[in-house]
Amino acid sequence: MTMLRFTVRRLLFLIPMLFVASVAIFLMLRLGPSDPAMDYLRLSRVPPTPQALENARQMLGLDLPITVQYFNWLGDALHLDFGVSYALQRPVLPDILYYLPATLQLAGVALLLTLGVSIPLGMCAARHRDGLPDQFVRLVAFLGVSMPNFWLGFLLVWLLSIELGWLPPMGRGSWSQLIMPALAIAFMSLSINARLLRASMLEVTGQRHVYYARLRGLGAGRVERSHILRNALLPIVTATGMHIGELIGGTLIIESIFGWPGIGRYAVSAIFNRDYPVIQCFTLMMVLVFVLCNLIVDIVYAWLDPRIRLGVEEKA
Amino acid sequence: MWHRLVGRFSFLFLLLAAPLVGAMPVHAALALNFSWPLNVGPLNPHLYSPNQMFAQNMVYEPLVKYHADGTVGPWLAESWQVSKDGRRYHFKLRKDVTFSNGEAFDADAVVANFNAVLANRARHAWLELVNQIVDVTADGTYDVTLTLKDAYYPVLQELALPRPFRFIAPSQFIDGGTMHGIKQPIGTGPWVLQETRLGEKDVFVRNDHYWGQKPSYGQITVKVIPDPNSRAIAFETGQVDLIYGTDGPISPDTFERFRKSGRYLAALSAPFESQVLALNTNRGPTRDLAVRLAINHAVNKDLIIDKVLYGTQKRADTLFAPNVPYADIGLKPYVFDPDQASALLEQGGWVLPKDGKIRMKDGKPLQIDLSFVGTDAVAKSISEIIQADLRKVGIDVALIGEEESSVYARQRDGRFGMIFNRTWGAPYDPHAFVSSMRVPSHADYQAQLGLPDKAEIDAKISQTLVETDEEKRRALYRDILTRLHKEAVYLPLTNVTAIAVAKPELGNIPFGAMASEIPFEKLVPAAP
Repeated sequence: MTMLRFTVRRLLFLIPMLFVASVAIFLMLRLGPSDPAMDYLRLSRVPPTPQALENARQMLGLDLPITVQYFNWLGDALHLDFGVSYALQRPVLPDILYYLPATLQLAGVALLLTLGVSIPLGMCAARHRDGLPDQFVRLVAFLGVSMPNFWLGFLLVWLLSIELGWLPPMGRGSWSQLIMPALAIAFMSLSINARLLRASMLEVTGQRHVYYARLRGLGAGRVERSHILRNALLPIVTATGMHIGELIGGTLIIESIFGWPGIGRYAVSAIFNRDYPVIQCFTLMMVLVFVLCNLIVDIVYAWLDPRIRLGVEEKA
Repeated sequence: MWHRLVGRFSFLFLLLAAPLVGAMPVHAALALNFSWPLNVGPLNPHLYSPNQMFAQNMVYEPLVKYHADGTVGPWLAESWQVSKDGRRYHFKLRKDVTFSNGEAFDADAVVANFNAVLANRARHAWLELVNQIVDVTADGTYDVTLTLKDAYYPVLQELALPRPFRFIAPSQFIDGGTMHGIKQPIGTGPWVLQETRLGEKDVFVRNDHYWGQKPSYGQITVKVIPDPNSRAIAFETGQVDLIYGTDGPISPDTFERFRKSGRYLAALSAPFESQVLALNTNRGPTRDLAVRLAINHAVNKDLIIDKVLYGTQKRADTLFAPNVPYADIGLKPYVFDPDQASALLEQGGWVLPKDGKIRMKDGKPLQIDLSFVGTDAVAKSISEIIQADLRKVGIDVALIGEEESSVYARQRDGRFGMIFNRTWGAPYDPHAFVSSMRVPSHADYQAQLGLPDKAEIDAKISQTLVETDEEKRRALYRDILTRLHKEAVYLPLTNVTAIAVAKPELGNIPFGAMASEIPFEKLVPAAP
C-alpha cells in the first residue's frame, strides 16, 4: 500500500512537469529566428510568394495569437495528433511509432552492454585499487567521457569495417550490424558506470558492517557480494535511469552514421529541415522518456531500499 | 538477500531487453545498390517533395525527351506539329506503350493526367506552361491537342521536365485526380517500385511491359543513407555499388580520394548548372558598378576549385555555361586581376585611408555581407576564400552563416549584399531561370532591382518567352544576358557537374541530360 501511494504521488507530479516542458518546447521553436511558414513552403518546394506565405500561415494557424496556437497544439497532442511533417507530408506520430522499435532495440542492447561490462569492470577496479586493472579502467573511463560517440563510431567503422572487414558498417537486419552502433552509444555510459561503481564499492568497503563481516570470518567473495556490492549497486540504479535517456538521445547522431532506421535519424533530418511538427513531437517524447526513467528509478530505488519510501512516508 | 537482489536486477534486465525480441528484416538478393538521403516518397508524378525526382523519372515518362545537346526529341509522343500561331501543339502518341500494370497508354490517359495537373494549377503556378495551357483534348485514340494562351516557346522543354507532366495509370487516381494522392505508382517507365521500407530502402524492379529497350539490371535497391561520409563508407565496403549526384552525395575530398585510388571509376559530367553569388544592386556598396566589377576581378575562382572543390567543378565565367541554349554569345570574362580590381575601386572613389586596410567613400567603409547556409561546409570554405581575396583589395566582407530558411528569407526580401545562388540547370536554363528574374521572391529579382533598366529587362524577358521567331529570340537572350554581364550583377563561381563513382564491374557510367535524372536503364555491366 505504501509503495502504491508513493508511485501514485510521483505519477501526479508528472502532469505539471510535462505541462512546463510542453510550453518550453513550443515557445523555443516559435521564438527562433526562422519563420515556420517559410520553412513549410521551402520543404514543400513551393515558391515563397507573398500569397503563398499568407496561405501557409492561415493553413498552419500561424496567424492566430501564440497562446491560441499553443492550446490548439496541446489539444491536438492530447488526442495524439502531432500534425503532418512539413518535409515528408506524412502524419508524425505513426512515423515515430514506426521508427521507435529500431531505436529501442539499439538503446536496449547498448544498455545491456553498459551494465554487462561496467559492473565487472568497476568490481575489478575496486578489487585491485591502484593496480593495473584499476589503471586500465581509469584509462577506459578517461577515453569514454572524453570521446564524442560519433567520433568513436567513425573509428570503429574505419577499424572493424574498412581495415579488417569484420563487421558491416551500416544497416539493420543482423546482430552483427548492432555491435558497432551499440558500442559507440554505450561507451560513455559504461565508462561512467564503471568509475561510479568503483568509487561506491571503495566507499562501502570502509564501512563498519564490512569490517564486522570480515571479523565474523566470512570469506572474501561473500563479503564482496553480500556486503559490499549489494550496497554499492544502489547509485548504479540512479545512474542507469539517467543512462537510458542518454542512450536513446545518443542514437540521434549514431543512427545517421550507421544507417540505422530509428527515430534518432528521423529527428536529425527534421532538425536540419526545421520540420516543426516532427521536432515538437520528438522533443516532447524525449522529455517523457527522461521523466519516466527518473520515475522508474525512484520507484525501483524505493523498492530496493525501504528506507527511501519510509523516509518519504514519514515526511508526508 | 543477495539472491533477491539478483532476482530483481534480472527482472529489470528482462524488461529492458523486451524490445529486442522480434524478427529483423532480411535483405533480398540485390542487383545494383544505390543510396539516397531519404526514401523516394509515394511517387506521385504530379507532386513535389517528398517525391524524389530521380525516382519519379525512373517510373514515369514524358511525351518528349530532353537530350544532353539541348534538343528535345520524341518519346511517348512519336511526333508533333505546331500551329502557325504557335498556340496549338498536336501530338501523335506511340501505340506500343502500356502502363506497368498492363493498362493502355492512350490519348484518354494523357488528357486525364493533364487535367489532374491542371486541377492543382495554383500548386504548379511556378511553371509557366501550367499557366499557359487553356485546353487539352483527345482527338482520337492516340492523338492529343494542347492549346495555349500565348505562343509560349519553351513548351517542349517544360513537357520534358521530371514533373509534373508525366503519366500515371488513371486507375491509380484518387477522387478522380492526383492532388490528394495516388493508389500505386504505376507508370510507363523502365522501372517499377516494388517495395518501400521507411528509413531503410526502396526497391525497383525492371518493368517487363516496357516498350523501349529493357534495362540490363533487374533490380535497383536504393538504400537510405543520409550522411555523405556514411555513403562513402558504404561504397568502400561494398554495400553500395554506385555514387551519383550533383548535390554533394560525397564530399569533394572523398571524390578525389576515390579518383586517385585507381580502384574505382570516377567521372564528372558536363556542367549542369552554375553556382554564382548574386550581388545586390539595390543595397549597400554593391549598388556601385565599380564595386561589382572589382569583386568580379578580385576573386580567385581557380583557387576555390583547386583547394575546396578538388576539381569537381569547373570555373564559371558567365551566368550560364556556354553549353546552355542561347548562352554561347562570346561574353568577355572578368579575369582574375586584383590590380585591376583595386584600380576600379580607386576610380570609383573608394580609397584606402592612411594606415587602413578597408577602403572608404564619403566616410563609409567598403563593407559587404555575404550570406550562406551555415551548415554547408563547402559554401563556408568558399566564402572564407572570397572574404580573404576581397580583403586584399580593401573590401571587408562580413560572413553571415545562417539556417537555410533564414537565407531564403534574405533572398526573398533583398536583405543581402552578396548571396549564394544557383541556376536551375537543364532544361530550365535559360528560359525558366530568366523568367523567375521577374518574380520578387527570387534573389535575382532583388539583386537586379537597383539596375536603371530593370523594367526594360523584365519586359524583354516576357517578350522572349513568347517570341516564335528563333533569330529574334536569340537576339533578345543576347541582349538580356549581355546587360546582366556588363552590369556585373553576378559573380559566377563554378559550373556544377554531377559526380559518379562506381566499381569497375559496372562499366561506363552514363550521365543524364538533366541533373535530376539518373540513367539506371543505360547501365550495362562491363564484360568480365
